[in-house]
Amino acid sequence: MNPDIFAGFLAATLPTSLVATVLGVLLGLIVGMIPGMTISTGIIVVLPLTFVLDPTLSIALLLGIYVGGMTGGSFSATLLNIPGTPSASATALDGYPMARRGEPGRALSVAIVASFVGGFFSFLCLYFIAPSLADVALKFRAPDLFSVVFFGLTVICTFAARSPVKGLLSALIGLMIVTIGQDPVMGTARFTFGNAEMLAGIHFLTALIGLFAVPQLVDNMIAIARGQMETRTNTRIGSVLPKLADLKAMRLPLTIGSLTGAFLGILPGVGGPIAAFISYDYAKRFSRQQDRFGKGCIEGIAAPESANNAVTGGALIPMMTLGIPGDPVTAILIGALLVHGLAPGPLLFMERGDFAYTVIFSFMWANFFNLAIALAGVRLLVKLLAAPKALLMPTIALLCVIGSYALRNSFFDVWVMLGFGLLGIAMRHLEMPVVPMLLALVLGRQLEEHLRVALTESSGNLLVFVHSPFSILFLSLSVISIVWSFASEHRGGRLRSAPSAPSS
Amino acid sequence: MSRKNVVAGLVLIALGVGYGYLTAGLPKRSLPNTPDPSFFPWIITGCLIVLSVVLLVQGLQGPRSARNEADTAGGLRAPTVFLTLFVAYVALLPLAGFVIASVPFFAALMWLYGERRWGWISALSVALPVILVLIFRDGLQIPLPTGALSGFLG
Repeated sequence: MNPDIFAGFLAATLPTSLVATVLGVLLGLIVGMIPGMTISTGIIVVLPLTFVLDPTLSIALLLGIYVGGMTGGSFSATLLNIPGTPSASATALDGYPMARRGEPGRALSVAIVASFVGGFFSFLCLYFIAPSLADVALKFRAPDLFSVVFFGLTVICTFAARSPVKGLLSALIGLMIVTIGQDPVMGTARFTFGNAEMLAGIHFLTALIGLFAVPQLVDNMIAIARGQMETRTNTRIGSVLPKLADLKAMRLPLTIGSLTGAFLGILPGVGGPIAAFISYDYAKRFSRQQDRFGKGCIEGIAAPESANNAVTGGALIPMMTLGIPGDPVTAILIGALLVHGLAPGPLLFMERGDFAYTVIFSFMWANFFNLAIALAGVRLLVKLLAAPKALLMPTIALLCVIGSYALRNSFFDVWVMLGFGLLGIAMRHLEMPVVPMLLALVLGRQLEEHLRVALTESSGNLLVFVHSPFSILFLSLSVISIVWSFASEHRGGRLRSAPSAPSS
Repeated sequence: MSRKNVVAGLVLIALGVGYGYLTAGLPKRSLPNTPDPSFFPWIITGCLIVLSVVLLVQGLQGPRSARNEADTAGGLRAPTVFLTLFVAYVALLPLAGFVIASVPFFAALMWLYGERRWGWISALSVALPVILVLIFRDGLQIPLPTGALSGFLG
């Protein structure tokens, strides 16, 4: 056996790592469940921690939040008909009617088991696909790397936005911000206005805190002012232990959900909400009793809930092997690893194979703990649905400041965070998606670097991009995704469920 | 006509032009057959302006996104209040330090998020910043903004 696999398993199974995973899952379940807080919020809360913790512990904590958050969203979707995270929107379609019918425990047990199956299936995909994909990716040269990153960005623009023009514009604004500071090839200062702090560039974690947390804080304030934040539940949940008959009925939707979720998760920018709706749709189409969908049937909960958890492992594949994040959470994971000098990508598997497998096995543990904690603790956890917003939201505001300041001990970063908050609010107002911009902030430097290195190596010959089969493949896929999204916008048939900000 | 798209299109065209102007002023480093530092920014400028024009045209033509335009006037108050408070807080931080600046900010936010019991507000707006200092600065050795006036409080 590859010694890295063993070392990775051991590191992920150390008591300290397991404790970090458990804490992460718990926190994830809570932030996922509470409407008005998303997985990104949960991660922002612990972000300062990850700067000082050992990378193994940081990643265990963050993966726990990612996995737990996907499941937690289904609790409030089922009990209150308010999805705790956008990914749980589809779960509410059948979860809430079943809970209303007096079977909330059964609905939750289906959701929890489905989450585990989807998550575990995506762990298997990650375990088997990632190392071989990294092997292939090791052969990539500058033109291929450029094409892969370019593909990642264009796919995000077309999936994350209702309008492809707005998605692409959002990514371009991100690229523009990335060019602030030293240029990645020659080190020339660009757009710094002579400011020493601008020379280091805008750190994308600072941008991310502002872009995701600040608009959410404002949204919650508006919702409270309008009296839309009633989250009390009097439901008695009953037993959440899954019944054998239910497990049998879940086989087909679980297969559909896990497969679609893991596959769509690999594509950057698709994310949990879209995967959940698509698999709900498929499950309905393949079902013999289609009329039961929407009235509280098991299949309608199992398919989307397994899909949104399967997205997590799928999204980790391009993140680990190519360094391309598929959603805000994997973007933060990249940031948290970079802080420790560990750059996700094919080289990670070669140089720090043990760590790459630590990530993979931490993800596995997160799924096991998620199942155990959710089944054992759901009745206690849902009491937190009544947690006072007046305490949570101000605390998050302070944590935004701590997180952005602690990154580089700089007040400049706090102002930058606030500036991005304002930008996030403005973009939401103008119905521009922020996810493409965020991912452009993560990928922009690489995009420019690979482009310029490729052109330098080829003495400025643009044909270098069609000399390698990988490059041709990814560039054609990029073109197809752009053309397809423009065409489907023209027909007015955009992915109907695509939310404007799929922040997981 | 969709006002939001027209506004976004115009703002972004202006942004693209401004960025192009700055790009034109970037230093040249002419190694033979090597892209300049301004190479990538020029691509961004071009794409940004073209796509912004497309958005503007779409906005002028399409009646499609008219649905959310009614709620914008009332929706601006909360962000304005929130951001004003936040700006004041961040401006105060380097002077007053984390704890002293956070207490009034936290109290104001609690009120805005619907808490009306003054006892709770005063207790928690002092307790939470102190707890965060204990956890982050003392427990985890994560630096917090320190003030010129109150070094020891953080």
